[in-house]
Amino acid sequence: MKQGLWDRETVALLLLAALLPMLLAWLWDGGLMAAGRLGFALVVSGFWHLAFMLIRAQPPSVAGVLTALAVAMLAPEDLSLLQLILGISFGSVIAELVFGGWGRNVLNPATVTLAFLGFGFPAAPWPDLALPVGWAAIPALGLGVLFGVMALRLVLGAVLALALCLWAGVPLAPLLPVAGIVLALLVSDPVASASTKLGGWLNGALYGLLLALFAAHWQGAAPVQMAVSAALLASLAAPLLDEIALALWILRRRMHHG
Amino acid sequence: MLPARFSAGLILPQPRLPDPAAPVATELTVEAAVQPAPGESLRVELLVTEDAEVAQGQPLMRLKTAPGIALVAPMAARVARIDLQPGRRLSQLVLFHEPGGARHAFDTRGAGGDPARLRALLQESGLWRMIRSRPFGRMPAPAEAPAAILVMGRDTRPGAPDPALAITGREEDLARGLSALASLTAGPLLYAGPGAPAPARPVATGPLHPQGLAGPVLHRHVPARTGAPVWDLTAEDAADIGALLATGFLPPTRLIAITGEALRSPALVRCQPGADLRGLTRARVLPGPHDVLSGSALDGRPALWLGARDRQVTALPRAPRPAGRHWFRAALDRAARHAPIIPTAALDQALGGDLPAAALVRALAAGDAEGLIRLGGLSLLEEDLALADYATGSDQRLARQLRALLDRIAAEEGLA
Repeated sequence: MKQGLWDRETVALLLLAALLPMLLAWLWDGGLMAAGRLGFALVVSGFWHLAFMLIRAQPPSVAGVLTALAVAMLAPEDLSLLQLILGISFGSVIAELVFGGWGRNVLNPATVTLAFLGFGFPAAPWPDLALPVGWAAIPALGLGVLFGVMALRLVLGAVLALALCLWAGVPLAPLLPVAGIVLALLVSDPVASASTKLGGWLNGALYGLLLALFAAHWQGAAPVQMAVSAALLASLAAPLLDEIALALWILRRRMHHG
Repeated sequence: MLPARFSAGLILPQPRLPDPAAPVATELTVEAAVQPAPGESLRVELLVTEDAEVAQGQPLMRLKTAPGIALVAPMAARVARIDLQPGRRLSQLVLFHEPGGARHAFDTRGAGGDPARLRALLQESGLWRMIRSRPFGRMPAPAEAPAAILVMGRDTRPGAPDPALAITGREEDLARGLSALASLTAGPLLYAGPGAPAPARPVATGPLHPQGLAGPVLHRHVPARTGAPVWDLTAEDAADIGALLATGFLPPTRLIAITGEALRSPALVRCQPGADLRGLTRARVLPGPHDVLSGSALDGRPALWLGARDRQVTALPRAPRPAGRHWFRAALDRAARHAPIIPTAALDQALGGDLPAAALVRALAAGDAEGLIRLGGLSLLEEDLALADYATGSDQRLARQLRALLDRIAAEEGLA
C-alpha cells in the first residue's frame, strides 16, 4: 500500500551523489576544459536516451549522467569530436539502451565506451588524473557503500587483492589513485558487477589481481588503460562469478538439507 | 551478525505502537464474517440457513472436497447473510453477534493421544484453517503429512502485536498444543521465538523484518518442497489447540494490534476471528478519508473483515488523488516496460539477507520456475516478499510474480 524509494532512479541518483566528491575534485583540477568534456558527453549520452524514449518508449534514466561522467573523466585525450561521438554512442546504445535501459544491461556502458575508444584509437593518449581525484575516490566509495548502492564486499575484495599484491612486491603504487577512481566509477556499478555475496568478493579480487597482472607485465600502458581493461575483464567475468557463487550456495544448502 | 543488524538505508516505517503494558480490552464487534482467504476457493456445503442462531464454534459449513473440514462460527450469533458464488463457492457468511449465546462443545476424547483423532478434531473445529502449508501457502490437505511444523512465536512486521503477549498466561495451553502438533509430524517441530517450550526445538530468528516471518525461517532451517510440505502457524493458534484439547471449547478471541497513521491512538484488543474492521476502527480513526487494511501496512490488503490468519489491522490515510500528469509522461509510463530492480543492500535486507536477492528477483521477473525452486523459493509466500516490494517501490510486484509462479508450479505438479 505504501512505497519505499529504492527504485531505479533513486539508486542512480544515490550513485551520482556518491560520486560527487570525485566529480568536484576533477572539475576543480580540470577547470573549464573538464566541464566542457563532461557537457559534451552529457549531450551525446542524453541524445541517445532521448532517441530511445521517443522510438522505444524507454524512459530516460539518470544513469546516463553516470556514463557521461565516467567517460568524460577517463576517455583518451586529443580525440576528435567525431571519435568521441562514435565511442559514446557505441557504448550507450550497444551496451545499455538496446538491452532495455539501465538495469537490464550486462556491461557498464562507460566501460564499453572506454574499451571501444581505447581499442579503436590506440594512438590517443590516456589522461593523467590528478592525485586529489584519486583521494576523492575514497569518500566516493565510502558514500556508495553507506547508501548501499555499492557493495562493500566488492570494494573490500579489490582492496585486499591490491594490498596483497603490493605486499608481494608488484609495482602497483603509481596505479593506486587510478585503481580507486575506476573502482568507484566502473567496477562497483551495481548492475554490471556480481550480485551474490561470494561473487562480489571474487569480482573485487579479480579486478585487483588483473590490475596487478597488468602492472607487472603490460609494458608501456597508461595507468587508466590498465585499470579500464581490468574493469572490462572483471565485469565480463561477473556473471560467471555469480553463477559459481550460486552453485556453491545451492550445493551447501543441498548438503545441509538433503 | 553485522549484516543482520546493519540496515543500509532501508528504514521501515514503524507505526506508533500500542503500549504492551496497558490492559488489553476484549472487543467483540457486532458483525463478523467467515470468508475464504485471498485466492482461496472454498466449495462448501452449508449446515445453517440465514437467520439461524448459532453457538460460538458451531460448524457453519463443510468443504465439499473434504467433508471433514468445517468452517465454524467465530462468535455466538445469528446468521445474517450467506453469499455464495456459482458452484457453491463461498463468498462470505455474515453473522450478527447475539450476546449471551452458547458455546459449541467439541468431543475431544482421545484426541490428545491419537494423531488421527487429533487431525479430525482440528478439521472439525476450524483450527485446521489456521495452519498454512508451504509450498503454495494453502490450508493443508486433510491427509497431508508435514515434513516439519514451525510455530511462530515472533512477528517482525511493523506494528505487529508481540506473540509473546498473546500467549502470556497460556503457557500450559501452548505446551499442550505443541505436544499435540508434534504427534502430527514425523519431522521436527520448530518454535521461533523466546522460550521454546518442550517438545519444540527452538530456532533463532534475526531482529529485522522479514527475518521474523515464517518464510525466511523455513527457508533457512527446513525448506519446503512439493513432496515434503512444511506447516506453519502462530504460537497463539498452537495455544488455541491446547485450550481446545483441555476444555473442548474453542477460544473465542485472538490478540490483534490496530495501528496506522489514520488512528488517534494505536491499540491492542482481543477480538473474534473474522471481526468487522470498521467496527474495530470506527471509534479510533481520525476524521478524513482512510483505508482499513487487514494485515500490516506492507502486506495487508483493503478488507471489510479480519483475515483468517491476520493479527493486525492498519488504518492508513487515503492518498490524495495524484494530480493530473502531463500527457507525455502518462503515455510514456503506459507504453514503457517496468523499470528493472537494481540490486542494492536495501534489496538484500528486504529479502532477509540470506537469499541471493538479485538471482531471486531475476527468476521471478523471468517466470523461471526451475530457478525459483533451485533458490528455495518454494518456502516463500507473498508476505515474505512484501518488504522487498515496499522497498523497491516497483510497479512489478514481486509478491504477485511469486504467486503466479507458485500457482503455475502447483498446476504443473497437478496440485491445483
